[in-house]
Amino acid sequence: MSSAASNVAAAGSGVRGDSGPGRRPPAGPGGPPRSPRVVRSASGAISVAAALVIWLALLGPVITLAMHISPGAARAALTSPGALEPLVVSVKSGAVTLAVLLVLGTPLAWLLARGRLPFPRVWEAGLLLVLLLPPLVIGLLLVFMVGPFTPVGHGLAALHLSASNTFLALVIAQVYESAPYYVLGAQAAIGSVDPRLEQQAALLGDRPWRVLRRVTLPLAGPGLAMALAVAWARAMGAFGAVIIVAYHPYGLPLQIWTTLQETGLDSALPFAVVLLVVALPLPLAAYVWSARAQRRRRG
Amino acid sequence: MLSAAVEVDRRDFPVCAELAVAPGERLALFGPSGAGKTTILEAVAGLVRPRRAQITLGGRVLTSTEPPRADVPPWRRRVGLLRQDPGLFPHLSVRANLAYGPGADSHGPELDALAARLGIEGLLDAMPARLSGGQQHRVALGRLLLARCDALLLDEPYAGLDASLRRGLTDLVRALVADRRVPSVLVAHELEEAQAFADQLAVLDHGVILQAGAPGEVVRHPASRRVAELVGYLGFVPVTGAVAGIHPERVVPGAQPGRGLVLAGPLTAVRPSGAGWEAELTVAGQPVVCRLPDRPEPDDGQLTVTALEPPLFGPDGTALGQTEQDTSMVSSCRPDGATQ
Repeated sequence: MSSAASNVAAAGSGVRGDSGPGRRPPAGPGGPPRSPRVVRSASGAISVAAALVIWLALLGPVITLAMHISPGAARAALTSPGALEPLVVSVKSGAVTLAVLLVLGTPLAWLLARGRLPFPRVWEAGLLLVLLLPPLVIGLLLVFMVGPFTPVGHGLAALHLSASNTFLALVIAQVYESAPYYVLGAQAAIGSVDPRLEQQAALLGDRPWRVLRRVTLPLAGPGLAMALAVAWARAMGAFGAVIIVAYHPYGLPLQIWTTLQETGLDSALPFAVVLLVVALPLPLAAYVWSARAQRRRRG
Repeated sequence: MLSAAVEVDRRDFPVCAELAVAPGERLALFGPSGAGKTTILEAVAGLVRPRRAQITLGGRVLTSTEPPRADVPPWRRRVGLLRQDPGLFPHLSVRANLAYGPGADSHGPELDALAARLGIEGLLDAMPARLSGGQQHRVALGRLLLARCDALLLDEPYAGLDASLRRGLTDLVRALVADRRVPSVLVAHELEEAQAFADQLAVLDHGVILQAGAPGEVVRHPASRRVAELVGYLGFVPVTGAVAGIHPERVVPGAQPGRGLVLAGPLTAVRPSGAGWEAELTVAGQPVVCRLPDRPEPDDGQLTVTALEPPLFGPDGTALGQTEQDTSMVSSCRPDGATQ
């Protein structure tokens, strides 16, 4: 670090010298450390070092997890009776949540992206409001909205359903925590497809559904997948709203919480690993796919 | 035959035009930006909904707002539209783009032959992002031709390309339109581009076709002062009871009374223009610009030139003593539907 700093100081004086009258041509490789190239390489090295520090700091929790978990403890925690049940609950509820988002969120995102709704800013502000509400507050409000003593609760009871401490309640809480991420992400993905390309496809003989299949979805696909993956990660990790409306059945975040409360940090860590292993592959796969699609388009 | 009579409401002013283009014929819609040229093309392509319209192509009714009503969707019109942005699908290779339309075989001999004619046979496996602007336009044109469009609409397709590339592409389209016998309409806001392409020129301003005819005729015999301004007349000199329009390129040096109107006045500016010179003189208080092959040599600060057969305009801006214009191919209508 200190040598880099001295390089910058020396190179800085070189820049000042070069800017005066009778300027010399820049020194080639191996020349005196006054050349602009050295300035560039020194500042480049500092930039990379700073970026590395920030990156490692952001990854700190993951690195810490890897350092603190022992294979034996993980095996013991995960093979105890009923240990995998929260995993099954989380995956099932996450899958249902994604299905709900796809079916209800995609058309909304499409309408927003294509400017088909009046007062679009009002619609977007509504989504942002849900995004910005603290999950705990969402949970509290959900109790007042769909709890057993509300009109919705009565309606659900008539269908022998309940949105309190049930699988349905878990899905509702996850939908509320993840929907804004999906809809806003999908809106950006669909909005990035030039409508003139869709017009061109139509003029070349494609009906609307074929335009969707051949142009809109392939072009918006990587962005849609990213939005869906982020929503999946949010749904998997949903905790604030879930702990209020769906304490049971336990998903992974609640399993971590109760294990932490009852038996301590060391016992909770293996479940944290499971949560990461379940939540992360989809976003990572979407990221890889998106990067490959971009590379392919660049030829 | 492409025949269209359209009235489209826009925020600023309604667009109202009639045009008829025979197979293999090329019509250029020329006018300033925002005149409504693109709106007409989009109405023909079915991309905007007209207030009133009767559009037929090769005997098929595409749009009719009168009974029996018809509104064929864009995907059944078989109308090809090429814009300034060629609109290649970025996720598909050049070959897949060319074969996008129905019935086009991506490995058939027709595609290979057309690619060779367009000069893109070596690019078939490339992605569009790798192509230059001119190459992208060739691919987009090939895609329209392979999709067997019954009409070709070109919306300022070559804006932004350099002059030689533009000329090459224009020649190519002219040849292909003649071969395929499809009616074609070009929208242009540069007169040279419209003249290089078309055998019929329609001048559009503020949503209305002001004049139509052979490209040379429209320029030499503008029907009104406004048309004259649009096609490049830069000087308007008062003569007895009228105003003479002076086109910079229809001026010769010296006094030649038998060939036109002799103009004399103080020379106010001289500057190089292309391979010749542009001179500005003041005649009867009006600036007159003329382009001359040689640097003008004023006599005591005065320059004398002759404007060849300048058109005359009355006080209301209409042409006086104009030859009869051919308005059979293209005409315009007022928003109330009456033909002008």
